[in-house]
Order: sequence, then C-alpha cells, then structure tokens
Amino acid sequence: MQRATAGDLAYRLLVRGLAGLAILILLAPVVIVVATSFTTSQTLRFPPPDLSLRWYRELFDPVRSGPIHAAAWNSVWVAGTATLAATVLTVLAALAVARVKRPSARILEAGFLSPLVLPTLSYGLAALMFFSVLGIRPSLNILIAGHLVVIAPFVFRTTLASLAGLDQTLLEASANLGASRFYGFRRITLPLIAPGILAGAFLAFVSSMDNVPVSLFLSNARTGMLPIRMWGMMESTLDVRVAAIAGVLIASTLALLLVVDRLTGLTRRMSA
Amino acid sequence: MSVAVATTTGDARPALFRGRARAPSGGPRVDWRLAAPLGLAYLVFFAAPFAILFGISFYADAEQTRLGLDSWIKFYGDLFYLKVVFDTLKLGVFAVVATTILAYPLALVFRAAGPRARQALVLIILTPLLTSVVIRTFAWIVILAREGVVNQSLMALGLTSTPLNLLQTELGLVIALTQIEMPLMLLPLLTLMSRMDQNLVDGSRALGASQARTFFKVILPLTLPGWIAGATLVFASAATAFISQSVIGGARLVYLPALIWQQSTVVYNWPFAAVASLTLLFAVLAGIMVLGLLGRFARTD
Amino acid sequence: MIRLDRRAFAVGSLALGAAGLTTRAQAAGSLTAAIYPGTWEEAYRNVVAPALKKAAGVDVAFDSLFAVDQVAKVRAARGVPPFDCFVLDPGPAASALQAGLFDPIDAKKLTNAAKVPAGLITPHAVTCNAQVVGIAYNPKKFSAPPKGWADLFKSPYVERLGLTGFQTTFGTVSIIEMAKVFGGSESNMDPVFAELKKAVTKAAAVAAPAAMPGLFQQGQIDVMYTNTNTVAILKGRGVDIEFVRPETGAITFQTTLHIVKGAENVDAAYRYMDTAISADVQSALQKQPYNMIPINKDVTLVDTLDVKSVDELAGMVTHDWTKINPQRAAWIERFNKEITK
Repeated sequence: MQRATAGDLAYRLLVRGLAGLAILILLAPVVIVVATSFTTSQTLRFPPPDLSLRWYRELFDPVRSGPIHAAAWNSVWVAGTATLAATVLTVLAALAVARVKRPSARILEAGFLSPLVLPTLSYGLAALMFFSVLGIRPSLNILIAGHLVVIAPFVFRTTLASLAGLDQTLLEASANLGASRFYGFRRITLPLIAPGILAGAFLAFVSSMDNVPVSLFLSNARTGMLPIRMWGMMESTLDVRVAAIAGVLIASTLALLLVVDRLTGLTRRMSA
Repeated sequence: MSVAVATTTGDARPALFRGRARAPSGGPRVDWRLAAPLGLAYLVFFAAPFAILFGISFYADAEQTRLGLDSWIKFYGDLFYLKVVFDTLKLGVFAVVATTILAYPLALVFRAAGPRARQALVLIILTPLLTSVVIRTFAWIVILAREGVVNQSLMALGLTSTPLNLLQTELGLVIALTQIEMPLMLLPLLTLMSRMDQNLVDGSRALGASQARTFFKVILPLTLPGWIAGATLVFASAATAFISQSVIGGARLVYLPALIWQQSTVVYNWPFAAVASLTLLFAVLAGIMVLGLLGRFARTD
Repeated sequence: MIRLDRRAFAVGSLALGAAGLTTRAQAAGSLTAAIYPGTWEEAYRNVVAPALKKAAGVDVAFDSLFAVDQVAKVRAARGVPPFDCFVLDPGPAASALQAGLFDPIDAKKLTNAAKVPAGLITPHAVTCNAQVVGIAYNPKKFSAPPKGWADLFKSPYVERLGLTGFQTTFGTVSIIEMAKVFGGSESNMDPVFAELKKAVTKAAAVAAPAAMPGLFQQGQIDVMYTNTNTVAILKGRGVDIEFVRPETGAITFQTTLHIVKGAENVDAAYRYMDTAISADVQSALQKQPYNMIPINKDVTLVDTLDVKSVDELAGMVTHDWTKINPQRAAWIERFNKEITK
C-alpha cells in the first residue's frame, strides 16, 4: 500500500463527511418522530418539554381512538390480502419468465415491473375513474385490487432474482429421477426461493401499509386507510397520536423486519 | 408499458395452444399458463384504468358532455402548465443528484466496513422505509421550520443571525426527498458494490492512481448499472411524491401531482386532471428512457 | 359538480341502488345520515346519536363523506339515495339545491325551529352549526393585533402571514373580503390578486389550508385567516393564538342539514335534525373538543368561542354562493398561476 497523498486525505475526508451527513439525514426524522411521540405536550412539537406515555395510552383507548383503530385494521387487511394475492400470482409469473431468453419474456418482465416506476398518483386517478365508470362503489376490495398492482413488482423482482440464482442442475436431477414438475417445484424450487419471496412480500406489505397515492383516490371515509387518516389528523388538528401511531408502526415494522431477517437473512445477504 | 402488457397478453392464447412440446429445442419458452393470472390482473386493474384515463382526457368540458381536444390544448397551450411539467422533472433530477452525492460516499464506507458495521448500515439505510411517509413530512417541518432544529443549531453556532427560510423552498423539499428516496438509490448500489472485484480497485491503486481517480475511473463505471437502477426509482418516486411536495414545498411550488389532485378532487375537472396525469406518466417515462440511454451509452463506452 | 360519466350512471345505478338498499338502516325509527369525517363524525357519534336515541328512540347510522362526495353519491344513486340526510357547507349546498337534490323542509315538524334565528331554517335547509371566519394571530409575536384584512398585507404581519387559496369555504370567503377592502368585489377580484401577487414574495408560507394549523404552532407562520373553530382547538392545546374580527366584520356561513330527495326515512330525518338543533345537543357541541358555534338561542355560549351570542351572527358578513360557485374554478387556476414561483 502506498502512502496517502494530501489529495487522498481530502478525498477520504470528503467521503466520510458525506457518508456521515447521509446517515444523519436518514436517521434524524425517525429520531425526532419517536422522541415527539413520548411528549407530554398537547401538540406535535419538538423538542418535547417532558416525556410520558400519555399519547400511547390515548391511542390505545378503544373509544377515543376508535376510528384510528378501524383505519389501522383496514390498512392491515388490505395490505395483508393484497400481499398474499400478489405473492401467489407473482411467483407463478416469475416461474413463467425466469430463465427465458426470448423477447416475449423481457416484455412481460418490463410490464410486470412497470408499476414500480410509473407515477402511482396517475394510477390512483385512473383507477378512481375506471371504477366509477363501471359504477363500482369504493370498497376495501377495490383498494385491495389497486394495491395488488402497485406492490406486485416488489415480490416479482426478488423472486426473479432468487430464481436466477437457482442451481438448475438440482431441478434437472429431480426431473431425471422421475419427479413431476409440481413435485420438483414444491420440494426443491420453493424452499430455495422462499427467502427471496418472503423478502419481496415484506417490502410489498410495508409499501402497501404506507401507500398514499392509490388510497388517496380509492378510499373514502368509510374505507379509511391509516396513512390517509394520519395525514388528516396531522394537518388539521396536530394530533400527537399521529406520532404515537408512527411509533407503533416503527416498532412493529422493525419487529417484522427482524423476523423476516431471521428467516431470510435479508440484511446478512445484503451486507455480504 | 401497460400497452406492452396488453399486447403480450393478447398473444397468450396462441402460445398456450402451441404448448410446450417443442420448447426444449429453442431454449425455455414463457409458460403462458403461469403468467396468465398476473397478466390478467394487470390487464383489468392496471391497463384498463389507464385506457379509461386516456379516454376521459378527450372530453372537452368538465361536465363531460362533449368530446374534443380542449383539455389537451388548454394544458399544452399554456406556458404555466408547461413550466409545471418542467419543474416536476427538475425536482426529479435534483433528487437524483442529491441522493447520488450522499449515497456513493455511504456505499464506499459500506464497502470498506466489517460485517457487523455493514449489517448496522443496512438497518440504518432501511429506517426510512419503517417510517410512514406522512409522519416523515412532520419531522421535516420540525427540522426545517424557522424555529426548527437546523435554524436553532445554525443560530447557536453563530452562523446566521436571522433564521433561514428552508420550508416551502425547493432546497428544503429536495433535502426531505433525499431522506425518503435514499434507500431506493442505496439498495441497488450496495448490491453492486459488494459484488465488485476488489482486485480491480487494488490494481488501480497499485498503478499509482489517486483514490479520487480510482473512484471515477474504476468504481463509478463498475457500479453504473446499480446507479441507473437506483436513479430510475428515485427520479420516478420524487416526481410523484405528492405529500412531501405539498406539505414541505407548499402551495407556491406547483408540481404535477398537486395539480392532478386539485383538478380531480377540488375543481372536479376530470378531463383536465386526466391530461395532467398522462403528462406526468409520459414525463416520467421519458426521464427513465434518458437514464436507460445513459446506461447503454456508458456500456459501449 | 359531478364529473362521473353519464353513460356510467346507467351501468352503475342498478348496482349502486342495490348496494344503497343493503347499507341503509332497516329497522323502523332509523336513518342513515352523511357526516364529515374527523371532528364532525366524532361529535355526531358521541353527542347527537345518543341524544336522538334517548329523545325519539331513533337509531342513526353515519356515512362519513366530504361534501362533494355526498353530492356525487346522491347523484349517482339516481333517486335511490344511499342516505337520508346531507350535511353541507354553503358552496356544495348551493349546487345541490340547483341540481334538485333536496326534499322540501317543513319547519312545523321541528319542535326547536322557533329557537333558531330567522333565516337559518329555509325551505330546504336546517342550519346546525355556524362558522365564523376572521384573522388569527400569535399575541406573543406582535405588539398590536392586526385590525383588518388590509393589515395582513402590511409589515410586520405580511412577513409572518400564512396564505391559502380558494380550496376551502373559509379561504374563499376571506379572499373575497380582502378584495372588497382593496376596492373589488365578488365579480371583480383583480385588486386582491394584485395584492396577493405582491404579498406572496414576502409571506412566511403559502400552503394547503389544512397545513396551516401545523405551520402556526411550529412558529413558521404567526398570522392566518381561519375559523374560530380552529382557533379554539389550537388554544385548547396550549398554542398561543388569538382571534380577531376584522374591522369590516367577521364572516359567517352556515353548515346545513338537508333531507335527500327520495329519502326513505323522512320522519326519522326530522327527528334527527330536530335533535341536532336542540339546546342540549348544541350546548354540548360548543365545548371542547368540538368547539362548534351554536345556533339555538337558548344556549348560553361558552367563552372559548370568540362569539358572545347567537344573535351576533346576524350582524356578520355573508356571501351568495350561487355567485361564487361558477367562478371558483377560475379563481383557483388564477391563484395557482399568480402565486407560483
């Protein structure tokens, strides 16, 4: 290793400085939100004058926070159902195009991934127009359909990546031994790509829980979704319960992430 | 893209009838029976709504009584709306630039770090995904406001005597978007960084290249595909980040999403909202294509 | 108002009608009422529903919808309305009246009608709440309060002002009043747009109306135009805020209940409206956390409302929404264009 020049030192300093700034920008909002959720103050204000669990108690009160609970269950139900449906459909589709080198497969792949980059707000409006032209009333089922489309790419991408990394000889060996395609899938392919599917499903679930553009157009007051209700609460009344909801969401998503991580080695694989 | 889905799914039938019998000879074929369920779901719930959106844009009036190009002409004949399109794209570009400037150094630190530090970094990078988009905007109000964290720190350090206006400025909005979009840039970048051949980097250094030169001549080209993937997601996401744009940017910065929202739910002019919506769609697609071309250009370079 | 495709109505009306029938309350002595989401829904669920059950044995189910959505839903249902009672602000109420979506109201069927000031019960509407709009400021940031609309455009207030446009009822009527101060009117908004254009470069914030309370309590803005309801809510949460009546008078407008044309449970709807305007209910609704200004003369007003008595409302500035509605889209567009950086 050669000796570091002044230029190298400056470079290193710049890299570390910017990386530090990046970490600060990534973490600061989360720290502020969590700190605010423990405030004793009446309003969303930072820094909190004192710490308490007051707003969490308020949030878990079934009477006073009833509509929030209803919205939360709506969100969990929509995210759960949409993720489940998206996962099943997407794994099938990924099996259909994986390892296929033809243009038709590339086009399908691009099509299935397109909601990832197309503006979801445009899609939200399009879906609203579509369902009202058909005369279908807003309902949780419509929300599930809308969410399914925008979250499917997450599962599709990770499943495709897992299938690409699959050792094909294993499957061929199984086929040579006379196993049916389904048996081969169930006993060999599925266990090997399961971590990829799970990681994708996790991302899909989280992004559905946090989806605003589609829910904004497709949910109404009765089918209220959590992020939309939070937005209303935050903007109009500065309800500190919003910070408490964020606290609960952070904790539960983190717990889910740790479980998924245990099962799939998500962070380990990403840091490998 | 939705059109692409439509045409390929249209081919599904003949392919299905042809069956798999001849498949092995020319490499594997798409198994349309497996692709059909998702394809159908996309066709009904994704392509069809966009078709309706396209159709509604050809109503001439808000009441949807006559057909005509009036909504399109009103949008494209007005410099104000063209500027809104330009500003939206500009915001996407700024977000890409800002995330790039911060994500590369962090990715370099990640590459040099040990396994434990790496795992911690991955968790840090994922944290924005754990926080609801709604509450993140609140946090940024707290940070950027006149009496906020940044201004209080700057004034305590004596760097400024009057509070800076950061909220409701493009700068403030780009800073907030940087946090929200950074994971999208970092995740593909980290994948490529960790796959990168260390020998190439060592080789460059051994030949006497400075660290900065090594970064620009070796690391940057090798990680470019990851950057393009990340930049595509950041660009698309920043251009359509409705809540951040309206809460942090304020009403003086008009972007396409706010215009779409206002026209569709406040003014109730659906044809005009449809035109704005399709414009956002095409603008984002055009931006993505440019990024794709950059990638192709870089590869042939 | 509604932009649903006309052809779609033919397709959708059957399904909508059927769905409406299943969601509507079936038992005798029950109704479905539309209600605004948020504070209104909480208030009516917690105060009006129990009072109605106690007084008349009527069950009420709430369908929480914003005004425009209520109107859209009733239009789409084509004579088989999904609920019996509207709650509307003056803008949507005026357009729903023009579209013929209301059944006439017989004031004789309301026992509390005599206790409501004249004009607040019309042949199609029963006022259930008044809103009063004026200027709100932070008393700790200024030596003297702003006196009128013109002050908002002068130093030191303009530098601390939060501006919002025509999206909301309170924003629209406030800007109309500003126009009058600068020599304009509902039909001539040029003077106020000229002033707004100058003010936006100095103003502390130009934002969505709903974002104003947040910006105010974070110290980003110290002056805004808003309703007393918002002021009372913020004050109740310990924010430094005071309400000021502009020299030219505070603005008032009514939130009204209406019977939907073709409503099934008309009798129950009368009982519901009667309960909503009764002294007990109105008295409960004026307290924290609802802060709704009562319209029943028997109610003694609490001091958190910035309004002393129900009669005071008659002296305030009002507006004709049949004139405002046709111009609003153009105003919104003009506001967009002139304030954008």
